[in-house]
Amino acid sequence: VPRTWPREGDSRAPYFIYTDEGIYRRELERIFEGPTWSYVALECELPRPGDYKRSFIGETSVFVLRGEDGAVRGFLNRCAHRGVEIYQHDTGNVGRAIICPYHQWNYHLDGRLKGLPFRKGVKGVGGMPEDFDPLKHGLTPIRVHARRGAIFASLHAATPPFEEYLGEKMLGYYDRVFDGRELRLLGYSRQRLAANWKLMLENIKDTCHASLLHVFFVTFGLFRVDQPSKVRMDDTGLHAALISERGRQELNDGTKQMQSFKADLRLQDPRLLDTVREFPGDATVVMHTFWPNLILQQQSNTLATRQIVPRGPDRFDLHWTFFGYATDDEAMTARRLRQANLMGPGGFVSMDDGEVIARAQAGFRKAADAAGVVEMGGRDYADCDHMVTDVALRAFYRGYRKVMDL
Amino acid sequence: VSVSPQLRGELEDLYADYSEVIDSGALERWPGFFAEPCLYRIVSKENYDRGLPLSLMHCEGAGMLKDRAFASQKLNVYGPRVWRHMVNNVRARDDGTLIAVQANFAVFETLHDHHTGILATGCYLDKVVRTDAGLKFREKLCVYDSALIPGSIVAPL
Repeated sequence: VPRTWPREGDSRAPYFIYTDEGIYRRELERIFEGPTWSYVALECELPRPGDYKRSFIGETSVFVLRGEDGAVRGFLNRCAHRGVEIYQHDTGNVGRAIICPYHQWNYHLDGRLKGLPFRKGVKGVGGMPEDFDPLKHGLTPIRVHARRGAIFASLHAATPPFEEYLGEKMLGYYDRVFDGRELRLLGYSRQRLAANWKLMLENIKDTCHASLLHVFFVTFGLFRVDQPSKVRMDDTGLHAALISERGRQELNDGTKQMQSFKADLRLQDPRLLDTVREFPGDATVVMHTFWPNLILQQQSNTLATRQIVPRGPDRFDLHWTFFGYATDDEAMTARRLRQANLMGPGGFVSMDDGEVIARAQAGFRKAADAAGVVEMGGRDYADCDHMVTDVALRAFYRGYRKVMDL
Repeated sequence: VSVSPQLRGELEDLYADYSEVIDSGALERWPGFFAEPCLYRIVSKENYDRGLPLSLMHCEGAGMLKDRAFASQKLNVYGPRVWRHMVNNVRARDDGTLIAVQANFAVFETLHDHHTGILATGCYLDKVVRTDAGLKFREKLCVYDSALIPGSIVAPL
């Protein structure tokens, strides 16, 4: 079925992009297998030589591994012999060699084939042909780029260098969280959501919803349209940063329009929101969306990467990795762990998001010819200094349409 | 030390009452199962086994329990659903002050318009104390098995 974007342009989001199987296959090809950098791991997940992390680029299973030389390399998680998925655990240590369990083909930590049983035959019979060249049968390497604690990978040869890909403006926000300090892994949460993967990115770019859907954000001023805020995007419109400052629990022109603002709501234990300033500048929250698969969360003192793993047009997995810094004292770690209650599959805030995007997906069923309206704040694409706007969504659709030829 | 048949019976009642309160949605009664100071955590098996401190829910003390119960009942936005806890394989050791209880749990979730599915299975690793008001949790640790949660966990396990 040929699909065409509504004539209104980027201020409309046609629902077929969330449901159509053909669109989804094109996304895997052009986006995840295309010239993009996907987030795959944090360096603190593989501190020692031989440590690996299995990860995903789109639906493709990959792993990154720290070699004996300390360098991080990436490979398809697939034996060069018969295609068996080599690692099924998310993390671990490979020891001295990467070994496929099926026929025990074994590889050096840099991916070269080291050896295989029965290569020279047994008792003079069988074995691999004389001209079998181990150098031609190593693991398939993928491009990897580590920057200040986070690791990205690409399946495409023509992907521009990471710094160029992200652009100077976005790199500034990236470096604000990944500021060069060693990271400390706090733990994982993973969930499968019955929604299209793009809805997760859009949820973060949709700044208005946070002031309406989330009682916690609204009431306690963690992310709210009446606060000083900024929307910043790169030239493609695909990456964005939403920047804001914590506000007070007060009735004003903004909060009086919010049904979910509760002037008299008090936490029984305010330690949940005992936040401290730890980054330079006035911003207390920066939510980053890095195309195509990463949300980098800095909300008060809770830091996490949220990795998007698409699983078909109507579902995706969300992998949360919470972290702090190696220099955190006990009080800061306790604070991060308490504030993690806001986020994740049982988060006071994130629970609403997971539920509502699945509800959006349910609304799209049999609505391929309908489209969402994205006109808050006008119809433009420019950076702006408030968040009563859908501008980051419009910029996103503009970039997406270019990549997808839609 | 293994526990007396009487204590075993009381523990069974505790877990049955606890399950009923959550499954019926009467979460305002949930903090009443704990004795101050208390700790409630939901942790993935992966984080637990690796000693990673992150919880999916984390409540220190009655205040945080009440905040979580209230949010789940009144503040969070989620689709209609029914929960059903099954708790079995209860084992207990009593050292006179603390009763260490280990039990398996399965929580079935029935979303509106869907067949019943399994939300989570796992293990409670609890510390129970005797109080004037009966047995209470000093600590309740819910270690869930699956690394991939179907949807969200909208209430305490």
